[in-house]
Amino acid sequence: MNNQHVIGVFNEEDELLSAIHRVKEAGIKIAEIYTPYPVHEAIEAIGKKSRFTIAAFLFGFAGAIGILAFLQYTAVYDWPINYGGKPTNAFPSFIVVTIVLTILTITLASLFTFSVRAKVYPGKEYFMPDTRSTDDKFVIIFNMDQNATESSLLIQMLRESGASEIFEKQFQPLT
Amino acid sequence: MENHYTIPKNLKLVSVALIIVGAIIITYAFITQPSRAWANLLLNNYYFLSLAIGASFFFAIQYITQSGWSSMFKRVPEAMMAYIPYAGIIMLMLYFGMHDLYHWTHPEVVDSDVLIQHKTPYLNTPFFLIRLVFVFIVWTIMTQLLKRASQAEDKNGGLKYFERSEFLSKVYIFLLAITFSFATFDWIMSIDVHWFSTIFSLKNFVAAFYHGAVVITLIVILLNEKGYFPQLNKSHLLDFSRYIFILAIIWGYFTFSQFMIIWYGNIPEETEYYAHRWENGFEFIFYSNFTINWFIPFVLLLSQAINKNIKALKAICILLLVGQYLDLYEQIFPGVMHYAVFGIVEIGFFLGFAGLFTFITTKALASSPLIPMNHPYLEESIHHHVH
Repeated sequence: MNNQHVIGVFNEEDELLSAIHRVKEAGIKIAEIYTPYPVHEAIEAIGKKSRFTIAAFLFGFAGAIGILAFLQYTAVYDWPINYGGKPTNAFPSFIVVTIVLTILTITLASLFTFSVRAKVYPGKEYFMPDTRSTDDKFVIIFNMDQNATESSLLIQMLRESGASEIFEKQFQPLT
Repeated sequence: MENHYTIPKNLKLVSVALIIVGAIIITYAFITQPSRAWANLLLNNYYFLSLAIGASFFFAIQYITQSGWSSMFKRVPEAMMAYIPYAGIIMLMLYFGMHDLYHWTHPEVVDSDVLIQHKTPYLNTPFFLIRLVFVFIVWTIMTQLLKRASQAEDKNGGLKYFERSEFLSKVYIFLLAITFSFATFDWIMSIDVHWFSTIFSLKNFVAAFYHGAVVITLIVILLNEKGYFPQLNKSHLLDFSRYIFILAIIWGYFTFSQFMIIWYGNIPEETEYYAHRWENGFEFIFYSNFTINWFIPFVLLLSQAINKNIKALKAICILLLVGQYLDLYEQIFPGVMHYAVFGIVEIGFFLGFAGLFTFITTKALASSPLIPMNHPYLEESIHHHVH
């Protein structure tokens, strides 16, 4: 495995998008892209498909059913109390609690799912190919398995797209 | 396809036929069952008025937020707004039906009822009619001004008209907030004269915006099927779906808020409103209202695939047309009819008004170019792309 990487740094989103467009047309694989804010074209370009929304829906569905069941159990079966003559199964008043707790369930469960899938945990050593990649720059990274002519072609393309900096760096391949 | 909508001969014939059939059934209903007929007149006229008001709000909000994506379709809400003056004329006829619809117009009832006497300074026939005329004058003038600015932009071009429309829109939504509250309090809430809800006008306003957006989407889809709006793409559909989705949530939020507070508070003069809606055949309306207007669109439109599917979106829109009818039926009929009725009278009224609305909307749609020509955001709208 080759640890050599080409890194392109861009100032503008448009320049990054144009670079993505060019290298994709040439059939060069992009290893990773860092952007200051989510850029959908970048996610598409890396070819990663997320099933995160499906997971979130399932968490919400299970959460809502579970919370309603919990409220039903506590208020109706386990400890029925007469509140001003209301039925113990006060369904409309369960709704607000269910909405709020469902949101909490989705948030926490999604956070855990994300952490597990992305292998992120407290105290993990961070890796950054370029220190400005979480700042205001758009950073695109290529794995240099390609031959020399292709790599010079790539650098040429990045320059033409308007990269402010292009450099090569050695580090462990990104997973 | 040329940039001008021509009304198909068949559609014109159908809408005129519907008006004639409707008129016959309406006349029959007024002769045999006047109070049922008045309730239907109010329901159907308000139904199509709410779509027009919702469309006008949609139109205004696009200018205020300076939205680019929708500028291609702005002739559709513009055409729907044309119904407002006609609705005003029909609403004026309520003068003859007030006795059947509103208890507070009976002097002998007011004399023996302290609660209604307390409301008399607001709820009396002359002031009711003054408000009615006032709100329709405001709406007609404002929508006409918006329409003129939009058509002058087609002819002359320039940013001036966009800025003018944006300013008019800001004035309009401010006026609409006040006048629409009058309108719903007067026409619908005062049917159950003892009962009141402060969230009522807001809830009805959201329903109008919601179903107005639904009908705009439906008209765009229908026109697209006929070959107009060839530039309509998945991103436009997604944005229309998002409008419907978010408004379904807001509709559910307000409707449930009103219900839950009354249910939980359990104060007799408030609970009576819902107690009456849980008997005499109205229970079905109550539950299907929540199901159709909130649950089904909410669950289905969670999926991106359905959001972007033109056939599925069309089916949801048609279902929501039923939804607005159910919502208004639940608000108007229990106070007037005391038991749930649905028959040839209701169908005839709806068909008649639907014919009238179609006739007016298509005529307005055909009167100006379908895609605005000099709108500053037109290019952005045509090349709209979201994820």
